[in-house]
Amino acid sequence: MENKNIILDIQDLEVRFEVDGEIIRAVNGVSLTLEKGKTLGLVGETGAGKTTTALAVMHLVPDPPGIISNGNILLNGKDVMGMSKAELEKIRGKEVSMIFQDPMTSLNPVFTIGEQIAESLEIHEQLSRTDAMKKAKEMLELVGIPGSRASDYPHQFSGGMKQRVVIAIALACNPQLLIADEPTTALDVTIQAQVLELMKELKEKYGTAMIMITHDLGIVAEVCDEVAVMYAGRIIEKGTLDQVFNNTLHPYTEGLFNSLPNIKDRKSELLPIPGLMPDPVNLPVGCAFEPRCSYARAECSLRQPESRMVSDHMVCCSAYDHPDFHIKRKGGKYVE
Amino acid sequence: MYRYIINRLILIIPVIIGVSFLIFAILDQAPGDVVHVITGGGATQQEVEALRAELGLDRPLLVRYVDYMKGLLKGDLGKSYISGRSVFEVYTERLPATIKLAFASIFVSILLSIPLGIYAAVHSGKIGDNISMVAALLGLSMPNFWLGLILIITFSLQLKIFPSGGNEGLISLVLPAITIGTGLTATLTRITRSSMLDVIRQDYLRTARAKGVNERKVINKHALKNALIPIITIIGTQFGNVMGGAVLTETVFAWPGVGRLIIDSIHARDIPMVTGSIILKTITISIVLLVVDLLYAAVDPRIKAQYSKGGS
Amino acid sequence: MSTANSVKPKEQKKYSASKRYQKRSQGAEIWRRLKKNKGAMVGLGIVAMLAFIALFADIIIDFETDVIGQNISQRMQLPSRDHLLGTDEVGRDVFFRLLYGTRFSLSVGIVAVIIALVIGVVFGAIAGYFGGAIEEIIMRATDIFASVPHILMGIVIVAALGASTLNLMIAVGISSVPQFIRITRAAVLTVRHAEYVEASRAIGLREASIIFVHIIPNCLSPIIVQTTLRVASAIISASALSFLGLGVPQPSPEWGSMLSSGRQFIRTNSLLTFFPGLAIMITVLALNLLGDGLRDALDPKLRR
Repeated sequence: MENKNIILDIQDLEVRFEVDGEIIRAVNGVSLTLEKGKTLGLVGETGAGKTTTALAVMHLVPDPPGIISNGNILLNGKDVMGMSKAELEKIRGKEVSMIFQDPMTSLNPVFTIGEQIAESLEIHEQLSRTDAMKKAKEMLELVGIPGSRASDYPHQFSGGMKQRVVIAIALACNPQLLIADEPTTALDVTIQAQVLELMKELKEKYGTAMIMITHDLGIVAEVCDEVAVMYAGRIIEKGTLDQVFNNTLHPYTEGLFNSLPNIKDRKSELLPIPGLMPDPVNLPVGCAFEPRCSYARAECSLRQPESRMVSDHMVCCSAYDHPDFHIKRKGGKYVE
Repeated sequence: MYRYIINRLILIIPVIIGVSFLIFAILDQAPGDVVHVITGGGATQQEVEALRAELGLDRPLLVRYVDYMKGLLKGDLGKSYISGRSVFEVYTERLPATIKLAFASIFVSILLSIPLGIYAAVHSGKIGDNISMVAALLGLSMPNFWLGLILIITFSLQLKIFPSGGNEGLISLVLPAITIGTGLTATLTRITRSSMLDVIRQDYLRTARAKGVNERKVINKHALKNALIPIITIIGTQFGNVMGGAVLTETVFAWPGVGRLIIDSIHARDIPMVTGSIILKTITISIVLLVVDLLYAAVDPRIKAQYSKGGS
Repeated sequence: MSTANSVKPKEQKKYSASKRYQKRSQGAEIWRRLKKNKGAMVGLGIVAMLAFIALFADIIIDFETDVIGQNISQRMQLPSRDHLLGTDEVGRDVFFRLLYGTRFSLSVGIVAVIIALVIGVVFGAIAGYFGGAIEEIIMRATDIFASVPHILMGIVIVAALGASTLNLMIAVGISSVPQFIRITRAAVLTVRHAEYVEASRAIGLREASIIFVHIIPNCLSPIIVQTTLRVASAIISASALSFLGLGVPQPSPEWGSMLSSGRQFIRTNSLLTFFPGLAIMITVLALNLLGDGLRDALDPKLRR
């Protein structure tokens, strides 16, 4: 039964924010499932709703002004939406952990990093202070930081090392699901590579399922088994890495690939996607991508496209009502 | 770290010099003559001249000032023109009363402000916040001498619970401490609230929540420690101010402290007393501020690092 | 890449800008934000009313009869229809005296702050703009000045100059100077190093233009806020000095001195102490509400 293997099941999630009388529709009907041990890449531009979706999984969407207006989130079969505060506090950091984008601000400046790791252990594993500190030092070693530095403060570390500490905190209690929200965006490229390597190793060692939120397709190719592409609060394409990269279906996804500079073809023009993502306060009636889509037809602006299976994976595009439709990008492995 | 402390202590010296000259010079220009105060106006011209000579008042300002500074360097603050007693002695006699009052007031204000400020910050934008802030503003806008009088009217005269003046034991501390404390509460609550609001937006609180730390601990442990720095600054400054002499409250409650001492001395044109008291007060405040700065280092490790590097 | 057989690229769809993005003039924006703050509006209303009273008090109330005219047979009366708030120890109508006292309080507060403003802003701006030794000297002098608490400074100055309305204004004004110096210097410092100043230099703006077009307007907000709040504290300081007998001489109806004389009768008629203090509190509260509201409205990074 697949059921036992599914760590996360999100069904029709809708999240909106009410600010100053306006309604910001951040997440508009997101559904996805993730199996244990697998890594899902959640891809999209800034503002697509990725972080909000992730926060919703841990019920961390700030309320006010955020409201989860619809949807079910089942973590290991348990309904997150229905949990009490105490239950939520129990699963956060223990069954599901999250690491955030900016390591510079994620650590509390007035506590040592050892204390910050140990706190997680004290809460969830009921370890004593001394035992927790010991384990904290082990975690530090695991992420490549000497255990003796456990009594140092965050300001004494560089960005890359801070992010390692954040990873150590997140993995201290061996969560089954790790949500990483653009963990390397704020880091230098070389450090980026190191941190990614580290995450891959730990993921394999512990069998942790992971959601990797990123706008960088390169990272997706490195680390992910599955990919879900988000646009304006919806998942517009979803499949395995191979399916999405080599059998791209959605015009937006195609646009993302096209806007990557091709180092082998220096003379060709960069093809950015024209226009901007729609204002989440003012979403159009029809397909949200239609104004920027080079394949758009009249009916695209009239109604929401439905998600459907096309060839081997899911896509959300009305153009596929026409059985002959295909986008230009076809096949070819993704070349670094 | 020690270098930092020494540095700070040394910096007090120019301040003392500046303050003493300022006070000396201004008061010297004042109309009214201490001699008249001493003699009550019933002395002959000769007696007045003699008294002036005795007190050294017949010499020019600068000469007197230099003399005074020479005395200061030796640690001698001079003698009161009025009583002839050592300024230092008189000041330290009255000091304990003011210290008691300062501690009590600060205690009252911390007790009220910090929970109120945290509450307002956590419920920011909602009714509870607005009410707290208006209440704080009210406390700030009340002249504290008026508040003292109102408290006396209500609790002393009508309800006869507390004495209306003097310094007899703990019970006479209550009304003056509340009077000063209320004014302090207003400022401290606002600072607590705004400092907490700043901290509440910080990412590391999100990290704490994502770890599963329960909300109360997130606020009271993770947030508060970071919010403390501005709060400690204000508490320190307030303590310094009250220590400097809560002149008005001491007047209203006939509290035998340093504030009243200074006012009476100013009225009497007792220049050494005034100058000496203000200098001592300044030293006290500077030391209090130094202690406050050291407290920062205890709270925020980044600041401790800054001090040790030899910055100031 | 060749696009020979591609679909013609779609024309950019125009979508209507949401209301949020419409441009507003800065002044109108600030006023809009201020209006939203109910407390600030209440404060503004009260201040306007007080200003009105202060300006027209002379016309409405006759100074001789109502304010200082003594009427011993009517002394110490409780509030009644003839005397809205009762009479004081020599039979003067408390209500009229309070109203007339508005003139003193507001004028002392405003003049004192103007004195402090002029001296403070000039020195603060000099310190902030030129930096170096000049800044050090000015700031050290300020620190020395500021280490004497307000009240004491005020008392010392009034003692030196003698008790009168003008001297009260000077005393309170001078004791407020350090605050203005600090605020102005801080404001000038932040602006001086701001990138748009560097950018202005980079495109060749003259130094004077830089000062007037960029630096001063950006320093205005903290100074405006501080001015409003300082008037509030000046009023309290002035009434404190009057309370101590060092302010406006009798029989002028200054609120602080009314409190002081009322104090003698605290056992028999506590209303004499209650009302003047209430007047002070309402005035100061209104100014504080307004000042706070201005601070929120002028801060471009609206903090909620």
